[in-house]
Amino acid sequence: MDRQDRRVGAPLTALKAGETAVIVSIGSNPQRGRWGRGRVFAKRLMDMGLTPGTEVTVVKSAPFRGPVEILVRGSRLALGRGMAERILVEKTK
Amino acid sequence: MKVRKLTIALAGNANVGKSVIFNFLTGLHQHIGNWPGKTVEKAEGTLYFKGYLIDIVDLPGIYSLSAFSLEELISREYIAFEKPDVVINVVDASVLERNLFFTLQLMELEAPMILALNQVDIATKKGIEINHEKLEKILGISVVPTVAVKGTGVYDLLEKAVEVAEKGGATPARIEYGKEIEEQIENLAKLIEETEPRYPARWTAIKLLEKDEEVENEIRSKAPEILEASRNLARKIEAVHGHSCSTVVTSERYETARHIANRVQKIMPRVKPTLTERIHELTTHSVLGYLTMVGVLLLVFGPIFTFGGFVSEYLGGFLYSLEPTLQEILGVGIVKELIWGGIIEGVIAGITVALPYIAPFYLALYLLEDSGYLSRIAFLMDAVMHKIGLHGKAFIPVMLSFGCNVPACLGCRIMETERERLLAIFVVTLVPCAAVTVVVLGLVGRFLGVQWALALYITDLAIVFMLGRIAFKALPGEPTGLIMEMHEYRIPHFKTVISQTWFRLSEFIKMALPLIVFSSLVIRLVEILGYWEQIVTFMYPITVGWLGLRPEMGIPLLFGVLRKELTLIMLATLLGPNLATLTTSQMIVFAFVVMLYIPCVATIAALVRETGWRKAAFITVFEVLFALLVGGAAFRILALLGVP
Repeated sequence: MDRQDRRVGAPLTALKAGETAVIVSIGSNPQRGRWGRGRVFAKRLMDMGLTPGTEVTVVKSAPFRGPVEILVRGSRLALGRGMAERILVEKTK
Repeated sequence: MKVRKLTIALAGNANVGKSVIFNFLTGLHQHIGNWPGKTVEKAEGTLYFKGYLIDIVDLPGIYSLSAFSLEELISREYIAFEKPDVVINVVDASVLERNLFFTLQLMELEAPMILALNQVDIATKKGIEINHEKLEKILGISVVPTVAVKGTGVYDLLEKAVEVAEKGGATPARIEYGKEIEEQIENLAKLIEETEPRYPARWTAIKLLEKDEEVENEIRSKAPEILEASRNLARKIEAVHGHSCSTVVTSERYETARHIANRVQKIMPRVKPTLTERIHELTTHSVLGYLTMVGVLLLVFGPIFTFGGFVSEYLGGFLYSLEPTLQEILGVGIVKELIWGGIIEGVIAGITVALPYIAPFYLALYLLEDSGYLSRIAFLMDAVMHKIGLHGKAFIPVMLSFGCNVPACLGCRIMETERERLLAIFVVTLVPCAAVTVVVLGLVGRFLGVQWALALYITDLAIVFMLGRIAFKALPGEPTGLIMEMHEYRIPHFKTVISQTWFRLSEFIKMALPLIVFSSLVIRLVEILGYWEQIVTFMYPITVGWLGLRPEMGIPLLFGVLRKELTLIMLATLLGPNLATLTTSQMIVFAFVVMLYIPCVATIAALVRETGWRKAAFITVFEVLFALLVGGAAFRILALLGVP
């Protein structure tokens, strides 16, 4: 995937409820399938509007390490924990 | 006068009211089936309008036109190759930016299109006002504001669509990317133009830069040098931007969507949270959310189980009461036996499952989905479902399957990717349904005590859990977690929900009934011809040798294919008072096999509909063999433990 920016930023899951941050990059799939090549993962996230440079606001997390609810591009998304952990963000104060 | 024909396709994101518009336009003249050779649903309908016979095709709800999901592939191939006269892009006005991202891709496909700016009422409630005339100018296509649930604007929409078709299609404005990318697209498009591509050249160029596998394969076979060129260009872009080329293209497209959305919409921030927001808060709350969920599910599905059981019994009783009348007409003999025992009993089995269970389940499922509550349940249950390799959305089908596997199987349609759907279906067919529970309780619970029944149930669930995890690892394709839009709560459109239920139900019956009738006919024929003896002998090595059962216990297992509760009924009939003399081990092994082996005929029919013949056959055969394996193992383990 992305060559630069790999180490910058914290995972989206590190944000507290109500915090806003900008997406820096999307890491590779935590659970690669036997025949998958890890591309579906990033592509699907981006198709839903989670492209680098986009602002996201964390609303809350579901209990038991459940999904994260975020606001992005004027819509409300639920992201599975494993996926949210691979989205690296930088806080905007 | 000759009737002129037109084809209109509806395209757009999920949950934007596409199916409401579809229902509004086509009413009762619709047909729901699968795309040829695929297991993706295709809804088609017709209407007459201004001397035209218009064929309306409702494309699957998708967010993009990449080749990563079957739905997306089907949609883009349909638009590019079948060339509908007009594509109506249905857009959710309350989430304009995300929806425009899809609109831009449709425009790149160079399809003649118009835009239905739907749910403007919900947008207004959220404080969003959209200048649709300005949007029209920017996009270069007609934009019609609609509130489909009230029918507002739908007539205008149709008029505009026909107008566009009469003009031979209006080409939408070209959306330009940033300068460097735009240059590369132009260069590539020129090269591609010469190869006579199946898709528009510019679109093909963009997809090559996005590294779309399907387009890459096509170009590779036609002109490998172009693929080489595009890879080089992509590398250049990557060097400049520091992100993969597909990321850059997607980002730019979203940026364009954002720009357009910002230019045409005014957002008045709300001071007070709206009612729907408060409901959202409550239903996703980490404590209250679960309580609400349990309440809602009990309220919705509780009556279905009780009511369904009641109606099923009542209907069955009524239909069986017709037997003497039939006997009078046909007399006693082979003909009567075949007609009654084969055909009519098959029909009864079909009706007593379809009407009381499937119809209300479908209805409830669509209500939950359409209102937006389903996505909140998925949000709450995702962590739990993850443990069996599924994700939150699968919770409802899995829960339903404890009642009846058939609607649960059909309900797996809500899963987004084919892989997720197949996984959920597999797990669902393994879950013990109400009929199986009756057998376990009626045999093991009654004769050995509830603790045995409970132990059996827990072991079974543990096995299902394990198989789910193994299937998750073994199935091809890349697993993705939950990515789900939680759209604004809204009141479901009842007419759409009811017609969706009706058309899917009738389609299922058309498919399942022949299968059910055929298998009950076969079983009855075997009985009449007196082949049971041979079959018992034939099954001897399995029933007695491998499972340690009594030879005649193979017969109920065969009958169970029709309906699982028949296993117990047949067993009781065959053994009579000897039922109580079965050993502990025999009862447990028998119950185990019933829990896991072949899904009933109606479930197999549902499997065929949702996964196709091959996968349905594979799952069926696998489950039979697996049940035998587990049954045999249980027999030996119980013997080792010294259980009689």
